Amino acid sequence: MFRQPLSRALSLPVLGSPTRVARVCTSARSMQVQSEGKPQPEKVEVFIDDKPVYVLPGTTVLQAAAQIGIEIPRFCYHERLAVAGNCRMCLVEVEKSPKPIAACAMPVMKGMRIKTNSDLTKKAREGIMEFLLVNHPLDCPICDQGGECDLQDQSMAFGSDRSRFTDIHFSGKRAVEDKDIGPLIKTIMTRCIHCTRCIRFASEVAGIDDLGTTGRGNDMQVGTYVEKLFLSELSGNIIDLCPVGALTSKPYSFVARPWETRRIESVDVMDAVGSNIIVTTRTNEVLRILPKTNEEINEEWLADKSRFACDGLKRQRLVTPMMKSCSGELEPVEWEDAICAAAAAIQNCPPDSLVAVAGELADAESMVALKDLVNRMGSEHVYTEHIFPLQGSGIDLRAAYLLNTKIANVEEADFILLIGTNVRYEAPILNARIRKAYVHNETEIALVGPEVNLSYNYMHCGTSPSIVQEFASGQSSHPVYQKMMKAKRPMVIIGADQLKGPEGMSMLATAQQLAYNLEISLSDKNWEAALDIGYKPGASDALQANPKVVYLLGADAGYIDRNMLPKDCCVIYQGHHGDSGAEMADIVLPGAAYTEKRATYVNTEGRAQQTLPAVTPPGRARVDWKIIRALSEVMGQTLPYDDLDEMRMRMCQISPTLVSYGETDTNSFMPEVIQLSCNYQKPLSCELDVEMKKLSDYFMTDPISRASPTMAKCVQAVHKQETNPY
Amino acid sequence: MSAFGLDKITKLFQIIKVNGGIRASLYKLYRFDDLKDGKLVGQDDFGNKYYENPRYFFGRSRWVEYAPQFNMDYDGSQVPAEWFGWLHYKTDLIPTQDKDRPKYKWMLPHTENLSGTTGQYVPYSTTRPKVEPWIPKSSKV
Repeated sequence: MFRQPLSRALSLPVLGSPTRVARVCTSARSMQVQSEGKPQPEKVEVFIDDKPVYVLPGTTVLQAAAQIGIEIPRFCYHERLAVAGNCRMCLVEVEKSPKPIAACAMPVMKGMRIKTNSDLTKKAREGIMEFLLVNHPLDCPICDQGGECDLQDQSMAFGSDRSRFTDIHFSGKRAVEDKDIGPLIKTIMTRCIHCTRCIRFASEVAGIDDLGTTGRGNDMQVGTYVEKLFLSELSGNIIDLCPVGALTSKPYSFVARPWETRRIESVDVMDAVGSNIIVTTRTNEVLRILPKTNEEINEEWLADKSRFACDGLKRQRLVTPMMKSCSGELEPVEWEDAICAAAAAIQNCPPDSLVAVAGELADAESMVALKDLVNRMGSEHVYTEHIFPLQGSGIDLRAAYLLNTKIANVEEADFILLIGTNVRYEAPILNARIRKAYVHNETEIALVGPEVNLSYNYMHCGTSPSIVQEFASGQSSHPVYQKMMKAKRPMVIIGADQLKGPEGMSMLATAQQLAYNLEISLSDKNWEAALDIGYKPGASDALQANPKVVYLLGADAGYIDRNMLPKDCCVIYQGHHGDSGAEMADIVLPGAAYTEKRATYVNTEGRAQQTLPAVTPPGRARVDWKIIRALSEVMGQTLPYDDLDEMRMRMCQISPTLVSYGETDTNSFMPEVIQLSCNYQKPLSCELDVEMKKLSDYFMTDPISRASPTMAKCVQAVHKQETNPY
Repeated sequence: MSAFGLDKITKLFQIIKVNGGIRASLYKLYRFDDLKDGKLVGQDDFGNKYYENPRYFFGRSRWVEYAPQFNMDYDGSQVPAEWFGWLHYKTDLIPTQDKDRPKYKWMLPHTENLSGTTGQYVPYSTTRPKVEPWIPKSSKV
């Protein structure tokens, strides 16, 4: 009946309650800290429907009931938000209490006898349901929430079997004007039941206090006070939170009913976090993307780009192989011709002039296949588009380029230093974790780099990296440094952007020195998989050395320019979107996007996860690793894997972490990394800068989101908001 | 003679003779699964020949032998509209005898049903394609 699994209520402590215990942490250090804490208070016994249950004091009645599998209906209560207690749907009878109590807000008391199914409870629920429905329109047949609506479900389960509502001819139902809160969220405010989940989400998780209520009683309205767009990188989550159809998805409006669709569990690739998602499809078309709960990564939130850029999967697609004709135009050809031409080009190329570059959306399978192929041809030139310093430990030790602390453990940190990164737009889910730590753990945050809005307060230490060097030297009287030294579990996050320039290595070495235990590097997309496989970061040197054949595997970030390459160089592009890579290609091989293949992606923590095919690749596009496998056969260098299992075996040979799905190792080589890099500290003179400063920079960053009309509308909306006086 | 059914045999030989001998008769039988004798009443633009023999009962007394160029790919839609009426007993006047038939300049020559061939009519799709392909930038434009 409930949309959220029961087990969630059990595992989650109430936010803000005195008993809130810290999450169990994987690292030994935090375990130690936890065990040092005060002993667990004694459990109290309560009786729910005469069944005894032992719970910690401070637990609410609703959670205690959930522990023995009794679900109390609710609208306003949400595990990840503060308790509001205003919907009254969770009223239950408590013995010796004159009136029913709200289970979500009432802490248990010793010997409490709660009746969740008594006549009084049932009557209370029916009454609440009747009041809610008096002011709720009967528009379920045209409501987008129909079929996944809490109000619909609970009125069937707990509502009265007949209506006493006869007022419709007299004064009509309450009606509220709809609000325009942006291109992503459609509001039908008449349907609102004032649960205030969206308001609490906005102020607690998203950190934007734009939503609120005006008026009292029957005149209460949820809105933005003044006409304003609700623009946040996490705004889509209020659609999921809304228990009724008051907030629905604008791109998805009137598209499908939940029972017509198929739901495929997959992994998001739009940022480095690797949020778990559910891809909803019908008739071979991706309709929408919803978050899938994964406590270790995205909890149940999803960033807007991950959620709404899915319409970009239907535009600007490469659907047929293409080749440059004699007139210099790309023209559609048969697979056979394209593969044969690519094979001939690679075979006729001297080994040292063959260069492969993998882009950020390439999956691990195709990267392994491509590297194997290139190596068989005698070339070692396999690169990623992004740059990472190769001195010191370089990419030999995983610890050097991963977010070693893990996303979930960010909550445990008591001091976070951000160096040259705008976490809010580079990884919105990670920023939500930092904000969670800031709100609930009073974590202190400092930032070196351009002053950006991170949705929480932080201490700004200028934009010069020399201050990091000052911290690293250990002799600093800066208040931020003092706080960091006092912190038990400090954490340093450095933006991948800062490692690109000539001073990148020095920057990295300094940060590693400073963070002695927790060096974290925040980077883009599937970069970790590429480095795990053995791709070298930064292709510019190889591309300047007169390559004859350049094989681009979804390399669209714009680092490679046709003008950099010699005239007679043959560029083979394999990917799913027509973007900068396909534009400069001589041969285009259409591949599959992340919703169309079973593929492995590694997130910033080094956690391998696999996507599942939700739809088939469009037109004549094929799964990427199979294209490379076919190409190898035509070249007479057949790669030794015929199906996905054999492919995964090969990946396992390269690195077992690539196929240990859902898991992430604790890296223990950080001291070695620091030792290797300590000699590379040099004075830093550059200014730190980040690519994404404003919300408008966030929406269109990769081939999929650049092709998405919804994302384009978002950018327009942000620009419109900038001219708004409020 | 008729008592022994010999007239039937005589008729058979007569039909074979009318149809141009044993070889031609077998070929006609192979093409049309039928062998009849009748009076040739006319021929249309395609070369289809129309026969009539009132000796056969109503409904089978008028028939068409499709032109040799159709070979085995003949079908009813190859009968032009002007012969349709005579063939289906709507009129007893063959097109050349009927003076009242309208004849306008805009009337097109008859075409057979082209379904299943490359010349068939295909309506354009009114649904949007699910995927919009990328069209490479042309240097000519």
